[in-house]
Amino acid sequence: MEDNERYPELRRRLSPGWWTANRHYTMYMVREWTSLFVALYSLIFIYGLSLWAMDSRADFLNFLKNPAIVGFSLIALVFTMYHAATWFYLLGAIAPVRIGRSRTKPWQALVLNLILLVIISYLAIWLLALR
Amino acid sequence: MKVETHKIARLHAILWGIFSLGGMIAAFLLPVLIYMTAIAYPFSLWPFSGSRDPSFLVTGHLLGALFIFVTIAGSLYHGIFRFQSALTEVGLLKYRRALEAVGYFIIFVGIIVLAYYLVTWYLNGTIT
Repeated sequence: MEDNERYPELRRRLSPGWWTANRHYTMYMVREWTSLFVALYSLIFIYGLSLWAMDSRADFLNFLKNPAIVGFSLIALVFTMYHAATWFYLLGAIAPVRIGRSRTKPWQALVLNLILLVIISYLAIWLLALR
Repeated sequence: MKVETHKIARLHAILWGIFSLGGMIAAFLLPVLIYMTAIAYPFSLWPFSGSRDPSFLVTGHLLGALFIFVTIAGSLYHGIFRFQSALTEVGLLKYRRALEAVGYFIIFVGIIVLAYYLVTWYLNGTIT
């Protein structure tokens, strides 16, 4: 069965530049492309571990201090935070919580989850690096 | 044909479920890992202003190894899945199957290699 028969919505072909049509589409596409940095950071970290596994721990640590890796990681952190913020906002839009007669707003989910992010980050540092 | 469609739909639901879980992991755990490895350690900031370094995260204790596995594997799955999906939206829809194949191959190899290193270090006592 062709995809177009199985998924009729696929018949609506979009031009490659459709996401430049307005600001919302552009922000959506920027958000999607932040995932490239999430994936690349993960692959780079695995590569760093392979240096450790095949050579020595010092190679792994030197790799983490490499200016190119530090520079890329800083950009990745900015995009990861953007990913996190848009993900939290999306959660609030998709799954609002009903409290009494009202429903929570997306920005409330964003704020709550950002606070949770800070708490989880501190706990992770305390549990994994300080204990 | 209907059974096949249901199977595909179920598989899609599972894959999207893992994708969502990866999204939560990337949102909540990846920022702190990047901070520790790319900012705190190279610039000698808290919590790596003392004698410890990021290798302690991996081999300091089992919880750290689990944190690394969950964070990197979840983020890798989410990142690749989302990126290959984004590529189909910018004119590469006709290459969807090939993009999916390459994407899942990278995810599979990445997670297997990561698990192999961590399990090996656990078994030989490097992870304490």
